Amino acid sequence: MNTTAAWANPQLAAQVLRERRDGCSEIALHVDALHDARQVLWLEQRINALPGVKRVAIDRPAQRVRVVWQTRRTSLPMLLESFAAAGCSAHPLRHDEIEDARAAEMHDALKRMLVAGMCAMQVMTYAFVIYIGVVDFVDFSTRNLFRWLGLLTTIPLVFYSARSFFTGAARELRNRRLGINLPVALAVALVFAASVINTLRGSGEVYFDSVSMFVFLLLGARYLELRSRHRGGAQGDALIDATPLLAQRRRADGELETVAALDLAGGDQVHIPDGGTVPADGVLESASVQVDEALLSGESRPRQRRRGERLIAGSVLLTGPAELRVEHAGVDTGVARLGAIAARARQARASIVGSDRDVARFVGRVLLLTVLTALGWLLVDPSRAFDAAIAVLVVACPCAFALTVPVTLTRALGQLARHHVLVTDGNALLALARIDRALFDKTGTLAVPRLDIDATEPMRGESRQQVLTWAMALASESSHPLARALAAAARREVTPTRAQAVQVTMAAGIEGMVDGRTLRLGHARFALAAGPLAAGQIDARLADDALLLADDRGPLARFHFHEQPRADAGATLEQLRREGVGLCIASGDAADRVAALAARLDIDDWHARQLPADKLALLHALQADGHIVLAVGDGSNDAPLLAAADVSAALTSGTDLAQAQADLLLLDGRLDGLIQARTIALRLHEVVAQSRRWALLYNLIAVPFAAFGLVPPWLAAIGMSLSSLGVVLNALRVGRERACDPGRGHGGPTPAAQVSA
Amino acid sequence: MNILLVLIPVTLLVIVVAVALFFWAVNHQQFDDLDSPAVLPLMDEPPPQDPADNTDPPPQNT
Repeated sequence: MNTTAAWANPQLAAQVLRERRDGCSEIALHVDALHDARQVLWLEQRINALPGVKRVAIDRPAQRVRVVWQTRRTSLPMLLESFAAAGCSAHPLRHDEIEDARAAEMHDALKRMLVAGMCAMQVMTYAFVIYIGVVDFVDFSTRNLFRWLGLLTTIPLVFYSARSFFTGAARELRNRRLGINLPVALAVALVFAASVINTLRGSGEVYFDSVSMFVFLLLGARYLELRSRHRGGAQGDALIDATPLLAQRRRADGELETVAALDLAGGDQVHIPDGGTVPADGVLESASVQVDEALLSGESRPRQRRRGERLIAGSVLLTGPAELRVEHAGVDTGVARLGAIAARARQARASIVGSDRDVARFVGRVLLLTVLTALGWLLVDPSRAFDAAIAVLVVACPCAFALTVPVTLTRALGQLARHHVLVTDGNALLALARIDRALFDKTGTLAVPRLDIDATEPMRGESRQQVLTWAMALASESSHPLARALAAAARREVTPTRAQAVQVTMAAGIEGMVDGRTLRLGHARFALAAGPLAAGQIDARLADDALLLADDRGPLARFHFHEQPRADAGATLEQLRREGVGLCIASGDAADRVAALAARLDIDDWHARQLPADKLALLHALQADGHIVLAVGDGSNDAPLLAAADVSAALTSGTDLAQAQADLLLLDGRLDGLIQARTIALRLHEVVAQSRRWALLYNLIAVPFAAFGLVPPWLAAIGMSLSSLGVVLNALRVGRERACDPGRGHGGPTPAAQVSA
Repeated sequence: MNILLVLIPVTLLVIVVAVALFFWAVNHQQFDDLDSPAVLPLMDEPPPQDPADNTDPPPQNT
């Protein structure tokens, strides 16, 4: 990924390039440093100056650049190098990202709004003539002419601009639920139909001015909503793009190297640790593994896969590790499904819109109220029934009410993305504001273990190098934080070898063949289980916190770790405590180590030697007491806990399995993302409640006036649009207080500094 | 009042032309980035050259 030359490989290039009919190629790139508007312009000018470049489109909030150019004049590696030379290193995105759905949607909304605006203006002038004509000098034939002109100019408005309301209403009816498009579509259709009939008859009122203004104002509010929604989505995309799915590829010499899954080519051999994501479609070369394909197929039971069977990209290993031979990372096989987490984060955004039961109830009442108004006026004064009913329908349309949650939540997700927190379940964010207990894993979450290499104790006379080599061969197969720490430290000391027939037992240890002998690395109970000592006879000295390496004749070596709390753990926990959240540590580690860390972090409530089932029991006990619990973890053994908690957060430094169960993903190993998320969640609650109160209040005040025929339809349209606008603007308050966001702080010298230098 | 028979088609024509122009502008990404053009007048220098590659060729087709 860091070498641009690799993209000269046509197989790789095929994954990111799209050929156009005119012989040009199209690509979408993620760029890291786009914090300044001037930088954007400079980059655009530089890339435009390259030979063969047809078009450059820079999407700053999403940190994406789309380029259309001729590859025979500037090759892909050359293009990437030009980006790097401009100080904005870029990496290609999958070719299905080339289509800019957001821009297309935006263009469509803009066009609809403009057509509506133009037509509304025109209809308004005609209506003015009609109003004057009723009073004075324009005669009846002229009046009819203007009615026909009004009809003519309203046609594009109803059939082009307002089409989105009709298709939306049709979709809502098909899904058998009441949404906000239905009252709008109904109002537009009724008013337009009545006006057309009256025009044809040549008598009665026409409402072309009202309906066109209604549609225009509503499209204006929708456009603003779309813009704010897109901005939130773009910020999320930028974060997702910046954390591509990685794979561990085995080089020819057997060493592992970390590459982006996108860079994998057919025939590559890939190592997947337990709890890892399968990076590409391929054939399993290990004996057997269990995989979770729930994210792909919805099948929640684990599936057993044996040697020679296919693994699908995006599924998660439950047991492991596994060796995979990539079949074809070619043009568009499993690649589109990659990064299931990214897909879920996007899904969370998509599902926010229109999934509200309150709205359906609200719409039902509005329709009922409209019918009642019409019936009431039919008894009293039939000539005013239509006016009053339409006014009620328009004024009470719960657009503002329905917009509240999606607009505000989208804004919150976008703001969180800028704080390096990715949300995979929007509802969890609402629940986060209500938590009163937080359950933390220790190793890997609150604390980072480091191997104390000088304290390594060989126990049967082998050299330290020798036992480190063996232990590392096993440790590098696992994703447990201790194993990772051991492998990372040993890599600096010894040359790696490979272990065969590796089996990882969760919350216990790793077993495998190294140099022809069966070795076990893990807790004393696990490591010595195959040896001559029965479980009860384990020397107390061995049963402490250290990691033990053993073969079938007994222990070989002990490894000691020392733990450092994460830099921001103290501040994060302190802040949570200040907000009244009870803190608790549940760790699989030994009591004295958990106690030591709990004392350092000032936590009274800690539990040691917890198996995954124990952690789950602890959670259920808390929930049974009526607590709303946040669980924070990083390892595969935390996955059941994360899945069962009210809100869960996982560090992305942990395993993919844990991340697959978490509602919030904390990127860059930063715990303080939790505080940001909670602050924003609290703010979200406040703003949603406030906006809903406004929307309700407005409806309660306006509806009686409309029902008694005191509100003309055009005034109803203005009132309704203004209330929607208020909700959109109110949503912008979420996350506004934090003016100094980290997203703009770094990124090297600014262009201004470079110019003056 | 007969002037209306001329002026009304003219206004309709104006609308059609305006909408066509606007559609052209939207389709050519004129409304995609509303932030950076604001600083365009402030940029009279050429793009900054990195200290490393002072030999960068001048733009060829701008």
